[in-house]
Amino acid sequence: MDAQPEPVSYICGDCGMENTLKSGDVIQCRECGYRILYKKRTRRIVQYEAR
Amino acid sequence: MAKTTSSTNCQNSHGSYSNYKDLEDLAKPHIESFDHFHEVGIESILNSIKPVKIIDPITNKKLEIYFGHHDLYPPQKERSKIASIHKTLLPFECRQAKISYSGRFDVNVCFKFDDAHHPIQHKFHFGYIPIMIKSKLCHLRGADSQKLVSCYEEPTEMGGYFIVGGLERLIRLLIMPKRNYAMSVERDTFRKQQDGYSDKAVIIRCVRQDQSSATNRLYYLQSGSARLGFWVKGRQFLLPVGVVLKALIDTNDQEIYVNLTCCYRDKYQKVKGAVGTQLVGERVKIILDEVQELSLFTRAQCVEHIGENFKPVMDGVGNETHYSVGDAVLEEYILVHLKSYHDKFNMLIFMLQKLFAFVDHMAAEDRADALQNHEVLQPGHLITIYLKDKLQEWLMKGRRLIQDELNNNRAKYSLELEDVKKTLDKNPSRSIGTAIESMLKTGRLASQYGLDLQQSGGMTVQAERLNFLRFISFFRSVHRGAQFANQRNTSVRKLLPEAWGFLCPVHTPDGEPCGLLNHMSSTCRITSYFDSKGNIKNFDNIRSSILNVLIGIGMTPSLPKLVRAGPPEVLCVLLDGCVIGSISSTIVEKAVLHIRKLKLSANSGIPEDLEVGYVPLLGLAYPGLYLFTSPSRFVRPVKSLCHAGKNLDFELIGPFEQVYMEIRCADGGEGGRTENNPATHEEIHPTGILSVVANLTPYSDHNQSPRNMYQCQMAKQTMGFSSQALQFRADQKLYHLQTPQTPIVRTAAYTKYNIDEFPTGTNAIVAVLAYTGYDMEDAMILNKSSVERGMCRGTIYQSETIDLEDKKIGSSDPRKIFSRNNSDMSRGTIDSDGLPYVGKIIHPDEPYYSTYDTVSGTTYKAKLKGSEPVTVDYVAVDAKNPDKDTQKVNIRFRRPRNPIIGDKFSSRHGQKGVCSQLWPDIDMPFSGTTGLRPDLIINPHAFPSRMTIGMLLESIAAKGGSLHGKFVDATPFASSVRKENGQSSSEPDSLVDELGTLLKDRGFNYHGLEVLYSGVLGTELACEIFIGPVYYQRLRHMVSDKFQVRNTGPVDPTTKQPMKGRKRGGGIRFGEMERDSLLAHGAAYLLHDRLHTCSDFHVADVCSLCGSILTTSFIQPQKKAERAINGLPPGRIPKKVTCHACKTSKGMETVAMPYVFRYLAAELAAMNVKMTLRLSSGAES
Repeated sequence: MDAQPEPVSYICGDCGMENTLKSGDVIQCRECGYRILYKKRTRRIVQYEAR
Repeated sequence: MAKTTSSTNCQNSHGSYSNYKDLEDLAKPHIESFDHFHEVGIESILNSIKPVKIIDPITNKKLEIYFGHHDLYPPQKERSKIASIHKTLLPFECRQAKISYSGRFDVNVCFKFDDAHHPIQHKFHFGYIPIMIKSKLCHLRGADSQKLVSCYEEPTEMGGYFIVGGLERLIRLLIMPKRNYAMSVERDTFRKQQDGYSDKAVIIRCVRQDQSSATNRLYYLQSGSARLGFWVKGRQFLLPVGVVLKALIDTNDQEIYVNLTCCYRDKYQKVKGAVGTQLVGERVKIILDEVQELSLFTRAQCVEHIGENFKPVMDGVGNETHYSVGDAVLEEYILVHLKSYHDKFNMLIFMLQKLFAFVDHMAAEDRADALQNHEVLQPGHLITIYLKDKLQEWLMKGRRLIQDELNNNRAKYSLELEDVKKTLDKNPSRSIGTAIESMLKTGRLASQYGLDLQQSGGMTVQAERLNFLRFISFFRSVHRGAQFANQRNTSVRKLLPEAWGFLCPVHTPDGEPCGLLNHMSSTCRITSYFDSKGNIKNFDNIRSSILNVLIGIGMTPSLPKLVRAGPPEVLCVLLDGCVIGSISSTIVEKAVLHIRKLKLSANSGIPEDLEVGYVPLLGLAYPGLYLFTSPSRFVRPVKSLCHAGKNLDFELIGPFEQVYMEIRCADGGEGGRTENNPATHEEIHPTGILSVVANLTPYSDHNQSPRNMYQCQMAKQTMGFSSQALQFRADQKLYHLQTPQTPIVRTAAYTKYNIDEFPTGTNAIVAVLAYTGYDMEDAMILNKSSVERGMCRGTIYQSETIDLEDKKIGSSDPRKIFSRNNSDMSRGTIDSDGLPYVGKIIHPDEPYYSTYDTVSGTTYKAKLKGSEPVTVDYVAVDAKNPDKDTQKVNIRFRRPRNPIIGDKFSSRHGQKGVCSQLWPDIDMPFSGTTGLRPDLIINPHAFPSRMTIGMLLESIAAKGGSLHGKFVDATPFASSVRKENGQSSSEPDSLVDELGTLLKDRGFNYHGLEVLYSGVLGTELACEIFIGPVYYQRLRHMVSDKFQVRNTGPVDPTTKQPMKGRKRGGGIRFGEMERDSLLAHGAAYLLHDRLHTCSDFHVADVCSLCGSILTTSFIQPQKKAERAINGLPPGRIPKKVTCHACKTSKGMETVAMPYVFRYLAAELAAMNVKMTLRLSSGAES
């Protein structure tokens, strides 16, 4: 395990607020306390060619 | 020709808030029954469960335990340590988190010591009971589509199902014998139960107020007497009917004799509808003699006689007298739908008269398979009786535990409240909620005595949302009962005329459940405890007002004593299985007419769904006037004609009365009725007999009937637009069509049920011609460019739930977390939280999530199975348990499913086909005038034998519709309906004329033919081609999910033969019949290749001296062979094999054989059989 995991962004299933969580954080929306969070779509390149 | 129809010019377009009431009505039988469960049912079962009594043997202290007030709460979230703002639990959260949508159930248990005035109440938590979606306890009740969307539901959500462990499950509607109606039945099994029994009986299924039922059977004995059979704890007991009659009320032999024989009058013997014969008197004498032989004379003696015999089987009757036990038997097991003993007596007399009439062939048998004598078991009622059973069991077990404590622990244990509560807690009260949940989950009723139901399994099914039509069909389906599924006799599966208008004749699956799994017609409803305004019906008021009306007309009420006359002079009047009086046969028809009139008026006190079953004096079924107010009956609306002036009043009729009613078709004709026998009612529309799905087939009246059945099947397996709330669903598998269209040709039901919300197909331009030969035998050619433009494209959404709590059983600390090991190569596909990147394409055998074990410090990576790449659609993280930081993740993959060769398609007329080629657009034939190329080519041979004219009409109609920019109405039987202006059905021109002129107006060929040119050669095709748009459905059977191919792969460890099963990469069995065909062809080499070389080829060492293959073994060379010299590979050491039995390596031979042969030798050796091989070389010996 490395020392500092990169944070990952999630979107709250209820209020739509963006939450940035690190590994080991409690899974809960900071704004409303909702407990289902959706992961944001990656910003990385998914596909190089569009054929 | 417009290929896609945009919704802007939709003539049926409605505002953004559509009215989904018709859809909601479809699930009503489910929801109303659950509302009844929660509003009335629970209370009535708690009241009807008898208190248990416990007496301390030493102190003689008495304790009575019974149920008091209850509370069933709407679903709430478990309260967490951190106070959460959200308390209400919504259905979508349950689906995502894979939990149950259930509400807490509390009951006050009352403890009453020594006849104290006030009981001590203590609240017990009875677990969580699943709540039906959109029932009154559901948070979505009454929500409009806007609110539903904000709760992440479909805007059309109609409810009616439960969410159990994240799965949507519903309770099947089951056919039951009609409640409280005595049915005469002939069965061979009756004869077998004891000597002297005949095969005839009268059966009545009596239903108590709390929906639990008890069946009574009145058997006819060959001697002329009768026995009353009833079930106590799953065992049948038989009592002489005379004893029961005498035990019920204070009566005498003469009274019984007169009551029973009153139906026989000499002068009426030959009159139609007479039921009595001279023999009845003789039989009554035998019945009375039987009682006398038991030396029972008074009522008390009879009751005591019953009590004496039943004391061992009754529960909780420790020191009761014989009389009170006998009284309890009469009350709890005999004709339980009636409270008063007088009513029970009268009913028993009626049943005896019916039995004797049936035995004497004066009245026909009631058909047990006909819908006339059926009703349904509704979900709420099933839960009610199951809950009653469970609560009763809990109370009984509690009493047993307390009594055990009293007996074993006499010194310490006293009957004090604290002790009793502690003992009751040993018997976990929460298990009751769990029991109901597991009943919904598995569909099995875990009940000791069967709850008077014929089946204990298969009560629930999962409501799959493959497409909307399949989803609705679950709520409309009615199952005949599991016991008939494996019956050899097929008579139960027959479509009987009694089911007309109630069950759809078209919509039943073919194959195994054919005719057993039916669907209710679109107009069919189920009566409930709620009236049309949504108030709970008061049955006592209803019955008394019916009684008053009948007495007003001229009925003689039966109380205090039964009227002593019978058909044909007077007819018995029964209301919900209670003989309320008799009415003269001269005025009965007038009375029926009068009641029907009152049924239609709002404030008469007569419910609109009253069933007026008037069985006339025809000499067929036992005559009488049978009135039913009960819930769970089928009803359907028809127009009532007899009440002049109000011509458009809809009357709700049931299957029992329908048989004796005159209902004409809506085409304006009389259907062969004469002046003396006019129609009293009229069908609303001919399509009312069809189910919702069958109603969607356009021009189904022009198709051969089986094709419509196939269409109903295929509509339910179509890939469609399955869900609008797709983003919030975590179903295991969801099929989704990317580019659905609304059909140009549609029926009235399509708009009525808002199918546009969930379209299931595409308007494809279909050319009917034999082109290239790739459209032979139901294959079809798809235009490659059309597919590339998006026609029939689809995806499968597959979700996987990873619950880290599931994997570690026994340990409570969170051992595993989602995490990535940064040192290895998994960075490419796994994010730093251990989960995949959303949107990333993952290829087979690539890892998509990884977990880290905090104790052992190891990481586990899950690799993608299968053979195709997937896209990560979404990743949802949730914390199931609010207090612990457990992790649960839903990962949803998207698998592309674009049309390829081998995928299955179908039109709406049972014409299915498989795509055989994706043909290039440039090589497709094209129209001479418009240049248009078809999307799809089918072979003309698909039509002559199947006679699906509806499909041809659809093609012409859709062509005309798209040329005019209009939707075309294709409601079946349109010509059999009277026009609005009162004009009769003499249609001016035929349908073809109507459609043909549409084409002609736009300069197209009248018959839908067009000149086409070959796409390859550019020459005109020899004949004109029939071409037009047809709505095509893509079926869910796709090659990508089905193909199975292997060269080498996993083998079975015991036989070393290739494994079975597509999932494991196994092969397809090359079986005996395949072997036979190769043999017949003389293809010996191929046979050897398939069954030996490619299977379990094995070279065995055989000892030719002893002939054994099991005793041979390798000998390890003593020392390693000389090292490799100068990088050369070491020389191969010759194998040394010896036989252990012969202690020599002489005579060792190698023989090629299937490995199973060696296995056989080993198995035989295990059974002490030695197998010897006699070796010879080649063709010698």
